Amino acid sequence: MNLEDRIEIFGKILVNHRIKVILGSLLIIFTISFGMKFLETPSGYRGFVEEDFKYYKDVLDLEEKYGNIDVLTFVVKPEKGNIFQKDVLSLIHELTEISWQTPYSSRVSSLTNHQYTTVDGDDISISDFVDNVDSLSTNEIANLYSAAVLEDAVVNFVMSESGKIGLVNINLEMPEDIAFQEPISFAWEQKNYFEDRYEDIFVGVAGSAQFSHNFQSTSESDASKMYPSFLLLIIILTYILLRSVVASIISLIVIILSILPSLGAAGWLGFEVQPPLITAPIIILTISLTHAIHMLSIGLTNMTEGMTKNDAIIESLKINFVPIFLTSFTTAAGIAGINFGDIPAYSEMANTVVIGAGIGFILSVTMLPAMFSLLPINSRKRKSYVLEALKNLGELIYKFKERFVIVITAICIAVFSLLPNLHFDDYFSTYFDRVPEWLEVKNTVDPEFGSSFYIFSDMQSNEPDGITNPEYLKKLDEFESWLLTQPEVADVSTISDVIKTLHKNMNGGLDEYYAIPDNKALIAQYLLLYEFSVPYGMDLKNQMTADKSDSRILIRTNNSTSMESVAFNARVDEWVNENISPFSTNGVAGIPIMMPQLFVENTRGLVIGLLISFTFIIMVVGISLQSFRYGIISIVPNIIPFVLGFGLLTLATDMVTAAHQFAVLISIGLVVDATIHFLSKYKKALAINLPPREAIQYCFRFVGYPIIVASICLFSGFLFLTQSMFYYNFIIGGMCALIIMIALLIDLLLLPALLLIFGKKV
Amino acid sequence: MKFAKIIFIIFALFPFYLSAETAEEQGLRIAKASYENGRGYTDMVSDQLMILIDPKGNEVTREVSAKTLENLDPNDGDKSLTYFKTPKDVEGTVMLSHTHISDDDDQWLYLPALGRVKRISSSNKSGAFMGSEVAFEDFSGTDYRKYEWKFLGEEMENNETFYKLESYPNYENSGYSKRISLIDNLNRTYKVDFYDRKGELLKTLYLEDYVLYKDKIWMANTMKVENIQNKNITIFKWLNRELDVGINKKDFEKSSILRLAD
Repeated sequence: MNLEDRIEIFGKILVNHRIKVILGSLLIIFTISFGMKFLETPSGYRGFVEEDFKYYKDVLDLEEKYGNIDVLTFVVKPEKGNIFQKDVLSLIHELTEISWQTPYSSRVSSLTNHQYTTVDGDDISISDFVDNVDSLSTNEIANLYSAAVLEDAVVNFVMSESGKIGLVNINLEMPEDIAFQEPISFAWEQKNYFEDRYEDIFVGVAGSAQFSHNFQSTSESDASKMYPSFLLLIIILTYILLRSVVASIISLIVIILSILPSLGAAGWLGFEVQPPLITAPIIILTISLTHAIHMLSIGLTNMTEGMTKNDAIIESLKINFVPIFLTSFTTAAGIAGINFGDIPAYSEMANTVVIGAGIGFILSVTMLPAMFSLLPINSRKRKSYVLEALKNLGELIYKFKERFVIVITAICIAVFSLLPNLHFDDYFSTYFDRVPEWLEVKNTVDPEFGSSFYIFSDMQSNEPDGITNPEYLKKLDEFESWLLTQPEVADVSTISDVIKTLHKNMNGGLDEYYAIPDNKALIAQYLLLYEFSVPYGMDLKNQMTADKSDSRILIRTNNSTSMESVAFNARVDEWVNENISPFSTNGVAGIPIMMPQLFVENTRGLVIGLLISFTFIIMVVGISLQSFRYGIISIVPNIIPFVLGFGLLTLATDMVTAAHQFAVLISIGLVVDATIHFLSKYKKALAINLPPREAIQYCFRFVGYPIIVASICLFSGFLFLTQSMFYYNFIIGGMCALIIMIALLIDLLLLPALLLIFGKKV
Repeated sequence: MKFAKIIFIIFALFPFYLSAETAEEQGLRIAKASYENGRGYTDMVSDQLMILIDPKGNEVTREVSAKTLENLDPNDGDKSLTYFKTPKDVEGTVMLSHTHISDDDDQWLYLPALGRVKRISSSNKSGAFMGSEVAFEDFSGTDYRKYEWKFLGEEMENNETFYKLESYPNYENSGYSKRISLIDNLNRTYKVDFYDRKGELLKTLYLEDYVLYKDKIWMANTMKVENIQNKNITIFKWLNRELDVGINKKDFEKSSILRLAD
């Protein structure tokens, strides 16, 4: 018994037990779908890295010593002038006070609560920089700027050098596994309240806490905004393509039923709802839709040609079973390559799609035929403009096959020459550039402060109380000076700044004493004094260890690309190796170091994943067609879409981000689908001894329309992703849509010409 | 006529107001008794150990010795001298402090390495003391007059009944929104929960090793503070505590610490 006979028997069993098949499928589907309950809320940027990722561990080590690195920042900017105006200072003062109420807050720092030291001989007075705003005269307020700009701890940390922007920084001590929801909601309440009260002052919410929360909020807004309209699009699309309400309903049911258990399985597996996962249902839906369209359109066509409903669907099953299996398989194999990357959120997305592709395949060949058999379906004959056009195209290609190949090859070579303009790189800070509120804050902060991100370093003296050693502080100072020469660094704050300021204040406030004294005991006594005079939440615990052996360096960064950050990190390590002894440090750590390193590692993994997936797919194609020659021919139309797609990308950017790489792995398995369909039909045509010219017409007649339909479905699905608020989803959607459209054109124009020239022998 | 009736009713009810002690009054009474329980000496000397323990269990120990002069003026605070002994680099540093009930405290610090006395005025001393979990205000703020009190009832803990009091700082810039204290029937404070500015439990103070001095003064010789939020622990131990040793009052004057600088 050959495969087709087996499929026919299988089809008959399905049709005869259609109720059982439907109910059984539903039961299994809902059981698996129940797992959706266990989908985890995203843990922000931390969920983007593996827990044992070296650069994340550096962050955790630092946090263990000095507390959590996450900061929630209010950005205050008056529409006109600088922050030294009565109402702006009042706002900052009030906002600072209320910020202590932020859930999980441990410290609050701003211009108003900056501890300002004034010196009169041996009398040292320490107080809030701005306390009672109302009592200040306009003149006094204006004079505050010249005092503020001299304070190390103020400039670039709570106020921009120009004085145009003030920040209120809130340090958060988040318990493990708690998302930023509560502090962020609190911050947004304050933002809205203060913006209402002070009309001409902008108040924005920034900082790593908001950055991290964006992962959650974009997932939520993507899901709530994209899914409903996407479903609507699918309903319209299926109706246009199938011209049958019932068939549309069947395809809709099947595709929805393939999404639910995929998400359920994701839940059972403990996946997080990070923004990448949001794309999974859309990709699954599109893939399942192409299956359903293939099955239903051939079933409907068979009915218009006079078959009974059951025979029509069994015949469709016979034709489609193997291609649907193969295409599901190649799709899954391509996307599974993402697991070679280093971003868990994307691996989780990929694995959800792989599960979805499997479920989609099973439902397409079980539940779909059963429902087709059960429900009343009428079919109207389609007008075949498309078939007519395809027929003419076939003739055209036959006549000018060499020219087609030459022209397309010429285009490819021209575009190929653009590819060296591209390089692997990205900006982690652009992740949420499509979120208007975030972009507004970013565009406010970045020109004045460099960026809203910090990195950290920890310098160890290797002995208790070693940080009061003048040699240690001088080394720290040297490190700071070197860091300040780096373009990636906007400003640096160290404990040596504190000591220098103290030394100055202990010596009548004279600038010449702004230096590190040469006396260890003196420094220790300064620190003791300092510790007596600081208010709640402003102690040095986040800057030095309790035994005073190690201290922390705080670095405000400029926006840099991943490659720049990685190079910076390497330069730091080099400098440290050569200069830091006899002290030690583990170099720099923080989000702007971790994300770029993640990008590099991920790229390395994805390149391997791509090679493996691609080889595997080509092998599967070759084996399924049982032809080495066709295997080789199939490579051409599957590589050209990527060459052209990335060539066109050079018009927009020179950066190949991780998202572009993911797009390759997601689309590779989809692009080959059309090739599989086309090649298998061509082979079949030659097998029944059709001459090449007829064979091409045979292919266009049987698979031309389904290939176009499937590509339109995929194209629409991916184009839809470009609405996402998450930049990577946007890129993935755009790239995949572009590649799939090019692939369609190549499959219709180049592949037939290639087969006519090179594919004569079987 | 109506007016007269109201006046009559108010007068009729007045005795009840007098006899019933409000929760606030009861709280204040217990707090005052507890405060006075640890007073009644003229001066005191002691050595103190401060042990800082981080969440990993690493320990750091600091040593100081102190002299305290009780201020008999009910409208003013005590005076104290603190001598820092370890770490070695701060040895010889001396702090004189005059606490006040309503004004900011006066503080002078003699730094031997600088050879000078510095007067520090800071209105905001809610920060951690020498890197510990104890804030300066926890020491200077033991005076019941710095708080508003409220009696919350009685509570059982470890088979013992305690008075439960709530108190709110009535000075500016405190790091706390409120404290909850448990006080035993001998008016000794057993435990204090400190709530941070946003009303979350920040740390718990346990007072242990109570010793009766002069047959009337209860003093705890161990003080343990557990920070709930950052998981650090600080332990203070009083060693060699002696009362009424007859310290010269002049030692506590500004002029005497200034002499150190000469």
